Amino acid sequence: MRPLDPVVTEALSRRFGAVVALRGVGLRVREGTCLLLVGPNGSGKTTLLRVLATALRPTEGRAWVGGYDVVSEGHRVREVCVYLGTSPGVYAGLTGFENLCLAADLCGRPRRQVPELLAWAGLEPVAYTLTGTYSLGMRRRLALARVRLQEPRVLLLDEPFVGLDEDGARLVSELVAGVKDRGGAVVLATHDHHRARALCDAVAELDSGRLLSYGPAGLAGAVNRG
Amino acid sequence: MRPFAVGATAALLSVGLFLALWVSPPDSYQGEYVRILYVHVPAALAAYGAAAVACGASALYLWRRDLRWDFVGRAGAELAALFSGLTLLTGMLWGKPVWGVWWAWDARLVTTAVLFLLYVGCLLVRDLADDPERGRRLSAAVAVLAFLDVPVVHYSVVWFRTLHQGPSISLQGVKLAPEFLLPLAVNTLAYLALLGVLLAERARLASLEVER
Amino acid sequence: MRAWRRVVAVARKDLLLEWRGRDALIPAGSFGLAVLLVLGLVSGGGWEAAPPALWVSLLLAAVVAAGRGADREGEEGTLEALLLYPGSREDLFWGRWLAVCVLLLLLGAGLWGVQVLLFNAPTRGVGVLVLAGLLSAFGLAAVGTLLAALLTHVRAGPLLMPLLFLPATVPVLLAGVRLSEAAASGAPAGPWWGVLAVFDLLFLLVGPALFEVVVEA
Repeated sequence: MRPLDPVVTEALSRRFGAVVALRGVGLRVREGTCLLLVGPNGSGKTTLLRVLATALRPTEGRAWVGGYDVVSEGHRVREVCVYLGTSPGVYAGLTGFENLCLAADLCGRPRRQVPELLAWAGLEPVAYTLTGTYSLGMRRRLALARVRLQEPRVLLLDEPFVGLDEDGARLVSELVAGVKDRGGAVVLATHDHHRARALCDAVAELDSGRLLSYGPAGLAGAVNRG
Repeated sequence: MRPFAVGATAALLSVGLFLALWVSPPDSYQGEYVRILYVHVPAALAAYGAAAVACGASALYLWRRDLRWDFVGRAGAELAALFSGLTLLTGMLWGKPVWGVWWAWDARLVTTAVLFLLYVGCLLVRDLADDPERGRRLSAAVAVLAFLDVPVVHYSVVWFRTLHQGPSISLQGVKLAPEFLLPLAVNTLAYLALLGVLLAERARLASLEVER
Repeated sequence: MRAWRRVVAVARKDLLLEWRGRDALIPAGSFGLAVLLVLGLVSGGGWEAAPPALWVSLLLAAVVAAGRGADREGEEGTLEALLLYPGSREDLFWGRWLAVCVLLLLLGAGLWGVQVLLFNAPTRGVGVLVLAGLLSAFGLAAVGTLLAALLTHVRAGPLLMPLLFLPATVPVLLAGVRLSEAAASGAPAGPWWGVLAVFDLLFLLVGPALFEVVVEA
């Protein structure tokens, strides 16, 4: 039975040798909403996002993204979902322009969008400079431009605010709002609750791989406690 | 079934050893050293059999992702390394007195050495992978790649240079005298039975390791 | 059409990074030179020792060069992003394969030139050598691309690379040596074109399929 919601997990577990990073996590993110993942370091937030992104295989349990099974239909999941991890994933030896052109080629988008995206990310002045000279925040802005290029239905963000100034944080908000408007879903893991609170409709709190609480953003105590 | 298989294999090995050491006459050219071949040839066949099993089971594991195929593939890879190592060792022990050299650049020896190295690599990849599941997948890929590569290696070495008496048993007809053929046949059967028993036991051990 | 665009994009990216960093060609080329020099020294440097020295140095340089693309992804943390793009991962294999082919041809041409000087080797039969170089590069790049991807998540992976690469590519070494000798003497090439063709066919078919399995999460 294919679930209708864009992100669904059932009893999802992942072990790394003897370490259990996720234990039986069951979640559901509805269309047009954003889920905030909170929890201390090592609570399994990144593992959960990586399993959803098909970058890690679950040890037990199942997960669907965009209605597709992350294990058996990984190639379909990658067509609808973009994961932005803690590493911006840009090539230091390429310019910002070249990095985005590569992304456009790889995901089959027209290259003529690239200049416009660089302007959106505020990187126009450094578009033809090697990204090896960029600051962390600038590299993250470039990664955000890549996300915008791909226009995903499901967006998975791991600590998206790291290194970003207020303008940069606004780019994240725009991306999240865009996905929500298109009827997609966002899962966002961060310790920056102040910035994330405005974007999110629900909060899930993880600890040692367990789902502690899960509910609408207003009701769960997690954000306030965190 | 298991005690029977182990017992039958032990009996076959004993009979083979007896035939090899007492019944077989010394060869007119090789002398007593012909007896080494009763280990060398069966071990070589067992090595290639084990490599074939490793390749087949690994391919099935990659296709079906059923752990049981991985257990068989792992057993096959280990036994391919073991038996090809034994083949190389006995080949050298035989080569020194008969050819006068420990090692000859003969196609079958070189191919066996390549097989040995690739399957040692296959086992290392499994052990050194950063995650057990990945180790299974990567070593299965190496097992498939190695086995498909071996025939190409073999023919390229054959054409490059060869110094070996031609195969004594070919499809056209048997050139070996019957008093040598019987011990060879029994020992070959015994080693293939040994391969089967070891494969089954090693696969069972691997499955117990996973359950634990 | 889209697959072709992806293949070219990956190859162009690898070659552009190589052009700006030269971090594969220069180390691998210098290593190949060192091997040629050492082999020339111990063999006396006669012209008959030239073909084995050339092909051994090329294979060892290929071990270094073929792994560089995968290492670079690891150092920059870009591998995950690359693998998570939509589309077939076979395209990634072919892109990297194309880039490695170009590197190997450059290495081969450079080492051939040095070998002519060091060993006073004859320069006849360049057509045969070019074709032999192309066919070898296709096969070596396929094996190298596959093994480099395979060893990315293996501890001591760069140390295992020669252990797997050199035995697996013995047919290319032997065919290359014999074809070089045939080119120099004008003798018939025997079965060696066939050996190279079968080797290429095998790894160009198996390579992309196993690559997809190997890079899975």
